[in-house]
Amino acid sequence: MVDVYREKMHKYGRIFMVMGILVMFLAPTVIWLMTGVAPNAAQMVAGVVALSVIYLPGGLIEMMTYSPLLGTSATYLAFVTGNLINLKVPCVMNATEICKTEINTPENEVVSTISVAFSSITTVVILSLGILMLIPLQPVLQSELLAPAFSWVISALFGALGYKYFKNNWLLVIAPIVVVIILSILVPTFVNSQVIIIIIIAVIATLISSKILFNKKII
Amino acid sequence: MILSSLAISDVQEAWWLYAVGAFVTLFIISGSLFFAYHANKKSQELGMPKESIKKAIVSSISFSILPSIGIFIGVITMSGFLGIALPWIRLSVLGALHYELMAADLAVEGVTASNITVENFVTIAYTMTIAIVWGSLFTLFFFKKYQSKVVDKATKKEGRSFGPLLFQSVFIGLISAYFGDAFSRLFGYNTREIIDGAYTDNVIRSTTVVPLIVFLVSFIVMMFLDYLVEKKNVKWIENFQLSFAMIIGMGSAVLLGIGGVY
Repeated sequence: MVDVYREKMHKYGRIFMVMGILVMFLAPTVIWLMTGVAPNAAQMVAGVVALSVIYLPGGLIEMMTYSPLLGTSATYLAFVTGNLINLKVPCVMNATEICKTEINTPENEVVSTISVAFSSITTVVILSLGILMLIPLQPVLQSELLAPAFSWVISALFGALGYKYFKNNWLLVIAPIVVVIILSILVPTFVNSQVIIIIIIAVIATLISSKILFNKKII
Repeated sequence: MILSSLAISDVQEAWWLYAVGAFVTLFIISGSLFFAYHANKKSQELGMPKESIKKAIVSSISFSILPSIGIFIGVITMSGFLGIALPWIRLSVLGALHYELMAADLAVEGVTASNITVENFVTIAYTMTIAIVWGSLFTLFFFKKYQSKVVDKATKKEGRSFGPLLFQSVFIGLISAYFGDAFSRLFGYNTREIIDGAYTDNVIRSTTVVPLIVFLVSFIVMMFLDYLVEKKNVKWIENFQLSFAMIIGMGSAVLLGIGGVY
């Protein structure tokens, strides 16, 4: 059966995505037009190629991993507004956990869309307020006292979220935690510099152990 | 040529670049409200309680404040090299601080705040924009098909199904990876030195226990707050428990810093 709402959201989402990509290109293009200075093509191509080695497969993996969690509208919205893993994805995980909705259901689609929409608005409002109040804020936010807090905001975020997801799934947690601990001891700098690859490894470890537990009817 | 004789600082702080920033902000707010409006309409069709929508809004806003301040610190970090307006625009859309710094470094290697030119600036702006666009393009062209061919099949419920466990496993793997990120720093991590908002060639190797403590403190505080919500019926905390746990976790890093542990 065709889900009319979902079809409509794909249509709006794609229009929004095209507009979003054009908006992203607005800044460099306006700089070019207003100054009359073109980008250095050779440097630009070299930079784009070097970055794409990581970000082209990264973009595909992100789309495949996060879109089922986000749902239709939220995926389009999040892939324009960005900050997926450090904000939008955990934000949706938190909201769906609070509202008790299940992935790929109409209710989850509603909750995740609202969650990403208000998270995006919060971010741009805070950035804009920050720009307006830059002079009084800069010394506070860059103070040595507060620096450690914001250096480890991601650890605080996933630590807090971790309990929510671990509490009913202790058996599933064992395998990925053991794997990341072993990797951390053997290749620590790889673990903390290649998070996307570690996510894939940890997800595979969880899937294998959960499949074994599922087949043995333990879970 | 219109403004090419202008100094780089005049371009970085030009009113028209701020106007682009304001436009990008309005675009994101309008798009977000558009999708939120449709989602809200759908929730009424589904007969979802208004309370659920309110919970989703309040928890998402309260949750997003701290990470957003972190993103704003990224704007300040980059401002020494690129001014305020371009980092503001870049971090309002798809991108992240480490990505933008890497893009700037790869596009114009060796250029610093003291010798950056308008050509460097426009080259950096294009490089940052083009190389991150892959995720958006994959979403634009393949997401719909991926959703119907893979996600729908994986979540189909027929009796005892592995589907829900599949996504539960993705969540748990994701969180475990970030536990690994914190834990591995006990043994070593590299930081590229940032001077005046740009990477230098210096790589500093360090170890730290702080992120692991922050992770564990947030985890334990969350456990306590969850106990209050579930067992003591303190329901108002529910929408804020993640933010509270994060604040206390981040506060532990400040306290450790005061004690000389970084």
